[in-house]
Amino acid sequence: MNTTNPKQNRVLAIAPDTRGVGFAVLEGENTLADWGVKTVAGDKNSGSVAKVEQLITDYDPEVLVLQDVESKDSRRSLRIRELSRILTALASSRNLKVARFPWIRVQKTMFAEGWGTKQQIAEIVAKIFPEELGFRLPPKRRLWESQDYRMSMFDAVALALTFRLRGKKAPADPPATV
Amino acid sequence: MASSQLPNYLRANRKRLALSQKEVAFLLGAESGAKVCRYERFAREPSLRTALAYEVIFQRPARELFGGLHKALEKQVAARARSLGKRVNRESSKARHSRKRESISALAALAGCKPLNQE
Repeated sequence: MNTTNPKQNRVLAIAPDTRGVGFAVLEGENTLADWGVKTVAGDKNSGSVAKVEQLITDYDPEVLVLQDVESKDSRRSLRIRELSRILTALASSRNLKVARFPWIRVQKTMFAEGWGTKQQIAEIVAKIFPEELGFRLPPKRRLWESQDYRMSMFDAVALALTFRLRGKKAPADPPATV
Repeated sequence: MASSQLPNYLRANRKRLALSQKEVAFLLGAESGAKVCRYERFAREPSLRTALAYEVIFQRPARELFGGLHKALEKQVAARARSLGKRVNRESSKARHSRKRESISALAALAGCKPLNQE
């Protein structure tokens, strides 16, 4: 973990998926203060909102970063869209700024050529935070497999980095495609 | 608003080493992971022995592990040093007190405050 700059603000990035939410708390330019996956049983949306509310209470972030699921290119489910709206309302009620990025923006931030797979993004994120995330990188998904549960955590870190690196160059070269 | 450091970074360091709260509790000599959970959620401050044990486990200095707490204490000490400095200045201006005034002034300047002699 890198040294924290106390002048920099703290951001909480949330990446919902079918099991719950992946989250990342990024402090300053390069300090990952917390990260993980919160799985939810039962009502996914209300459970996810409760988990995010707890994260906001614990970490008191200044910005909530979400994927922009309202854009016309987004293929996220109705439930996720609804959850995104609820989280936005929650952020407003807690006086948090909300930053939303379409996935294409995350790809443009991560890759010089502006395109890459989720797996490649996860590999870049693991390279940026090798101590924290290197050993949690999921294996490459095979066609008949569903997405690894850890991927939402990497998505959340990628969203947080997109917020931090907005207007800057791609952080690393994309890994070689096999 | 949140722009200061978190009181501690115990959770991030534990996750970095892929340890569970129960495992850290065992290393600390605690009975269960509940205490570790309270430290990580900033609900309880660890004792000096525990803080030093954390330093050993995570191989990082306590001032880094407890970044926010360290900053807060630094500010408090600096504020106290400023009032102590004013008191010392009032009480005596003898040369033998110049060393003391220098030390107190350096402490008062810790948290980004102006040194006493620049006021």
